[in-house]
Amino acid sequence: MVKLIKIILIFTGISCFYFFSRPVFAAGRVLTDVKVIHASMGPGHIDPGLKKIISELESVFKYTSYRLLKDRRLNLGFNQEGRVDLPGKRTLIVMPTDMDGKRIRYQINIKKNNHLIFKTRVLLRNDSSITIGGPKFNNGFLLFNISGSMR
Amino acid sequence: MKKTCSRYTPEKISRFVDNELSQDQYYAVSQHIIHCPDCNRLAGQYKSLSAVFNDHADQQKLQINPDRLRQKLLQNTPCSKKNLLGNILVFFSKNIYLQLASIAVILIICLFSFQGSLFGPTGPSAIVTSVDTDFTSVMIIETQKEKHTIIWFSET
Repeated sequence: MVKLIKIILIFTGISCFYFFSRPVFAAGRVLTDVKVIHASMGPGHIDPGLKKIISELESVFKYTSYRLLKDRRLNLGFNQEGRVDLPGKRTLIVMPTDMDGKRIRYQINIKKNNHLIFKTRVLLRNDSSITIGGPKFNNGFLLFNISGSMR
Repeated sequence: MKKTCSRYTPEKISRFVDNELSQDQYYAVSQHIIHCPDCNRLAGQYKSLSAVFNDHADQQKLQINPDRLRQKLLQNTPCSKKNLLGNILVFFSKNIYLQLASIAVILIICLFSFQGSLFGPTGPSAIVTSVDTDFTSVMIIETQKEKHTIIWFSET
C-alpha cells in the first residue's frame, strides 16, 4: 500500500511539473526576428550571424556569399504591425494575428515604393523561421528570414 | 485368489466386476457365474475388494478442500500477473539508483515533449496558407534536413 502511495505521489508530481511548466500562449507577445540577407555569387563570405540557417540555405541555393544586411528584433502583440525598411525602397511588414495550436499565424507584406508587391499568410512553427526571397539587389538577391517565438 | 474353473481367467472376471467387458461378453460371464461356484466366489471377492477401495478413495476425496487446492495452485504458478507485478515492484524498490534513473527519464521525456518533438521537427517550419503577388513566378520550397520553408518570388 505504501509503495502504491509512493508511485501515485511521484506520478502526481511529474504531471504537475509537466502541466505547470508548459508555456502559456494566450496573453503573450510574439518575439519576431527579421534578418535581411544579401545572397550573391561574389567572393565567398558567410556572415557569422547566419550560422543557424546557412546550412538550410546552402542546401537549396548555389550562392557563394551570404551577407547579413540588417537584423531587427520586434516584440509584437497580436495584430500589431512591425515594419522593417529594406534596400531598394522596399518595406517588410510582419504582423502576428493569432495562434493555431503551436503555430503562430503571420501576415507578411512587402511593399515597394508604397505599392504592395507581395502578400502572404503563413503558420509559423513556434521557435522556427521562414525565408522569403527573390528581390534583386546589387548583383544578387535579397532574402528575408523571419523567425517567431511566442513568449 | 484360488480358482479351479478354466473357462474364464481371473483377469476376465476382474474386468467383469469392473464393468469393462463388451455387452455380449458381460452377458456370457454373468450367465456363467450363476452356475459356476468358483467364478462366482472370485467375482464376489473382487467386488468386495473394489468396494473397500472405493470407500477408502471417497474418504480421501472428502478430506480435500477444493478452495485451498486452487489457492495453492495459483501461488505456485510462476507466470501469474500478480507475481510478475510484485517482482517488478520489488526490483524497483530495492534499487534506489534505478528509481532515480526512471524519474530522470520521465522528466526528460516531459521536457522534450513540451519544448518540441523528441524526434526532430514534425512538418514544415511554416505552412503557407496564401500567397498574393503582382509577379507570376512563386516557388515554395521545403529543405530536406530541417524542413525549413522558403518562398521565392521573382520580381520580373
